[in-house]
Amino acid sequence: MSGTRALKAAIGSLSQNPEQLLAVNVTDHCVVLAGPGSGKTKTLTTAMVRTLLEDVPEPRGVACITYNNECAFELEKRLSALGLERGTRAFIGTVHGFALSQIILPFARCVFPDWPSDISVISEADRKDVVAQAYASVGGVGDPQNRWKFAETKRKSEIDRSVPAWRDTNPELADFVEAYEGILKARKQIDFDGMPLLAYDMVSRFPWISEALKAKYPVLFVDEYQDLGYALHELVLKLCFESGIRLFAVGDIDQSIYGFAGAEPSLLEGLSARADVQTIRLRFNYRCGTDIIDASMAALGAERGYVGPDNAGKGAIRFHQVDGDDNAQAKYVLESILPDLQSRGYKLGEIGVLYRWAKHSDNLVSIAEAQGIPVVRADNKALIKRNSPVSRFVERCAQWVVGGWKNADPRFQRLCYDASSLVYGGTASDDEKRQMEHELITFLTPMDGAASTHSWLLDFKRDILSPWFARKRTISEHWDNLDEMIGRTDPAKKGGADLKMAQFCGDSSGTGAINLSTFHSSKGREFRAVILLGMNKDVIPNWRSNNDPNKMNAERREFYVAVTRAEQELHVVFQKGHYSVFVRELYDRTQQNK
Amino acid sequence: MHISRVQIRNFRNFKSIDVPMSKNSVLIGENRAGKSNFIHALRLVLDTSLPDRSRSLKISDFWDGIEDPFAEGGSSIEIDVDFVGFEANPATHALLADFRIADDHTVARISYRFRPDCEGEPSSEADFDYIIFGGGDETRSVPSKTRKRLVLDVLHALRDAESDLANWRKSPLRPLVEDAFSRIPDSDLVSVSSAIEGAGNALLQLGEITTLEATLRGKLHAIGGPRNDIDAKFGILSTDPSRLASILKLFIDGGSREIGDASLGSANLALLTLQLAEYEWKRAQNEQDFTIIAIEEPEAHLHPQLQRKVFSTLFQENLEAPQSLIVSTHSPNIASVTPFNQIVLLRNCGEDGSIAFSLANLNLAAHEMADLQGYLTTTRAEIFFSSGIIFVEGPSEEALIPAFSATLGHDLDALGITVCSVDGVDFGPYLKLATMLGLPCSVITDWDPIAGGTPLGWARAKKLLLSKRDIQGAAAVTPAQLSRLDTEEGTLRAAARKYNIYLNSSTLEIELSQDPDLADVLLSILSEQTSFGPVLKSRIARYQADHAEIVPEKLMLMIGYVGKGRFSRELEKRIVGIAPPEYIKHAIEHVVAKA
Repeated sequence: MSGTRALKAAIGSLSQNPEQLLAVNVTDHCVVLAGPGSGKTKTLTTAMVRTLLEDVPEPRGVACITYNNECAFELEKRLSALGLERGTRAFIGTVHGFALSQIILPFARCVFPDWPSDISVISEADRKDVVAQAYASVGGVGDPQNRWKFAETKRKSEIDRSVPAWRDTNPELADFVEAYEGILKARKQIDFDGMPLLAYDMVSRFPWISEALKAKYPVLFVDEYQDLGYALHELVLKLCFESGIRLFAVGDIDQSIYGFAGAEPSLLEGLSARADVQTIRLRFNYRCGTDIIDASMAALGAERGYVGPDNAGKGAIRFHQVDGDDNAQAKYVLESILPDLQSRGYKLGEIGVLYRWAKHSDNLVSIAEAQGIPVVRADNKALIKRNSPVSRFVERCAQWVVGGWKNADPRFQRLCYDASSLVYGGTASDDEKRQMEHELITFLTPMDGAASTHSWLLDFKRDILSPWFARKRTISEHWDNLDEMIGRTDPAKKGGADLKMAQFCGDSSGTGAINLSTFHSSKGREFRAVILLGMNKDVIPNWRSNNDPNKMNAERREFYVAVTRAEQELHVVFQKGHYSVFVRELYDRTQQNK
Repeated sequence: MHISRVQIRNFRNFKSIDVPMSKNSVLIGENRAGKSNFIHALRLVLDTSLPDRSRSLKISDFWDGIEDPFAEGGSSIEIDVDFVGFEANPATHALLADFRIADDHTVARISYRFRPDCEGEPSSEADFDYIIFGGGDETRSVPSKTRKRLVLDVLHALRDAESDLANWRKSPLRPLVEDAFSRIPDSDLVSVSSAIEGAGNALLQLGEITTLEATLRGKLHAIGGPRNDIDAKFGILSTDPSRLASILKLFIDGGSREIGDASLGSANLALLTLQLAEYEWKRAQNEQDFTIIAIEEPEAHLHPQLQRKVFSTLFQENLEAPQSLIVSTHSPNIASVTPFNQIVLLRNCGEDGSIAFSLANLNLAAHEMADLQGYLTTTRAEIFFSSGIIFVEGPSEEALIPAFSATLGHDLDALGITVCSVDGVDFGPYLKLATMLGLPCSVITDWDPIAGGTPLGWARAKKLLLSKRDIQGAAAVTPAQLSRLDTEEGTLRAAARKYNIYLNSSTLEIELSQDPDLADVLLSILSEQTSFGPVLKSRIARYQADHAEIVPEKLMLMIGYVGKGRFSRELEKRIVGIAPPEYIKHAIEHVVAKA
């Protein structure tokens, strides 16, 4: 590998941060607790490259599990800068990707005699049918989908079914889950939640599978450990503490905000409390101004001792009370805060507007559209789903045709690699790769940024994605995202406005577009200026959480995540007289510091 | 780790073979039995140095028995190579983990197919293409990394060892020497280099040299004139410290001769040794994880003792190393030092193509193995090259059978039939070996009656026929059948005959004496024994007058006085033209018919 020089430079740049340096060089089980802006991704990627160069000789490699595809993209980009090219000796992917591509697909046929070779992932719509069927088969009464929420929680949190508790507590839910899984199996299908469960089952029953994983990946890196849930946790315990794979986990208990998806912060706490695990805490926050760092701990309701580096600015926190509803607040943001920021040199692309739920931004979006202010949504209403490999691939292809081809950004090889991962999941033969390359280069003819996105997407579907869909061997990608994009860019539906290619692929040369995101989707991102929109009482925390300390803490962590996205300025917008209790705490802390 | 199984279908000599393999394997077979094609099949799967162009086969590479490779959607050439034990080393485990086969997770498979790759019926060679995949699943492509780190290297027969060694760029010595040099401190290299330079300059200062140099310069100057003077001077080769490695040469005979002057045999031996060292070095450099070295017919330049010494050493030493040897040979010398379970016999079976018989799964007790190995390590490894075997009790039969066969009109040597004496030990392992090698065989054994007891031959024949049934996979006999075999001589004899075990009713010599012509020969040999006294002489005369007078025990006693070996050698000369006893005749005819 050619990365030695890049690695030395990366390690050299950590010299001012003894904790990061320690983490990069550790060779035992290790948990790195890393707050916002602490350089955790840098620590993780540097440690990965160092491990590959120094601890793990060819042909073995390392695996890195992250929370979602978005994180995986980011890691790949950073690793590539350190000289580690994609697809070589490192697996980088989600828990589901790891379970599926590293455990289930290679080995299930060796351990389950009736394993179907044409297994597929169930669609969301079919899954609801299966839930209903399963509920009927166990004689359930009432709304099956509603009841499934409980069954699903049990399924996601009680991983080891060989223990008596599986059947002893809530046996009717156990029946429901098992009936559901039985129907899936008969349909030769699997669902996303089932992937890590099946992987865990295989690893715990067949020790040779752990050995195979250990041979391929003697070191396992886990990013965002706090978000990953019980199944991954149990899998990690098996692989790392029973089979001897070395663990390098990074996480932040305070940023655990995916409780609804089965995440549980205590798992990371438990891991770091183990005697055989070395825990390293990163102290520095390189992102936020020192006042923001300090106030964020008030928002969290816990002192973590985070500090900024010596040269850090103070940052600023401003509170804006608006006499009016959501719409008035949105108007205020665009007509008062935005011009102020712009007058002080902030570009649109450097500004993030964050809100609790996607619906809170609807007013903002329509006002912005009316005024011609470019915005880009990163919530579940986003046109390009940041977490979807298919969407991101389409986006990159669009970037290439509107000008990326000139300076190879993105590189064509990257597009080819993405294509073969999407369609063949890394199992493409040379001929198959050549064919895709040919199809891509034929289709991707350069075009003007003013061209219609909708018609390009239709061509893209006809010439590229449909033929590929027919020959794909991967089973877990969301191919219907393209249809969604086609539908949403249809000028007929949007009242005549035809989205230009340049806008579609974010080629907003110059100032960029304001980033809109929910608190959840903002995780991992950072903006020079952050505007928290609609921080009213009852928006956060929700009144239902008032009597539940766990729920209250979960909401607090969400607020904390949002606050810590800000580098230099944090603007908190709320309805006059209706501020959230968290806003009050934040405010009080800023007053103390004066 | 090692290759545990190779399957080849429709390729050149091979219609369909399925060959269990050991860590090391020795492919034995006559010319044209398919040894090179077997190795080439492995190269198609594993050898990354094989260009794509060669990996894409030709229609002529299909097995001859396939009349039309285009018919019925097209035929395919299929090669599967299985590995076991890859889990013992994390590197090979990492390379092969995803290529386990569905029904046995301890086995990893890499496959090659050359098959139609077109819409509809194939009509030309261009409609065929090859594919390499793992785990028996065509969608699992094998990264070239995997094949680059599991190296198959072929050392071809009759290669030019001398020029390979002389050419520094190609020499296996080069990486080893350069590696050693890279570890020498620069200061040492510089001081050696300046010492060489000093010595060289001293040489250039010697009067004889300066005189010669002056003479040559004068002549060159004179012939070309001052304007064309090329300013010639003596010098010594570069002594640049960074290039010192290239002045090192390997000498033999204590430094008196260059390796290039060695006999072809020594050069080949040196090359083989250096190449093995190179593979070891490459593994130490982490360039590869496992090496499969295929050596084609190494006997060409090695004399017999050396063949035995070299390969018995290699087969032993190689057991621990992460490498496998696959040696193809038609040398009985190499065969004789090959541990049994490493032998793969390739035989051209006409219509069925070449068939492989592997002893990798030969299941014998340690002492049986030792017996057989003992038999083979003497010069009789030729049974691997024979087309049939007649197993006999001892040297007497071994001497007589070829002569009897000649009388029956069969030249056993010409037919490739071996007569193999088990020298009084159990026939069982031999029979197992022959059966696994697919060799037609018969057993000639004595009934050996004993006073007041069951003849020894009874139990022997019974055991043999049962074990032969077992090898052939016949159903176990019922208790009723077993008891008939124990009690009814007729049943036993008939059953034995069915499994080509031929019994007499006493011992060889007694049996011979029952035949009038053979009895005459027997008695005439005895009558010529000058050491016999008058009592014996008169007894012989009495027997000669009337064969009915012969008392078996006394006859055997007299033959014993002569010595069984000497007696049978004498007998061998005199039985020409005399028909053998029936049981011997049947044994010969059976093998001749099948061979």
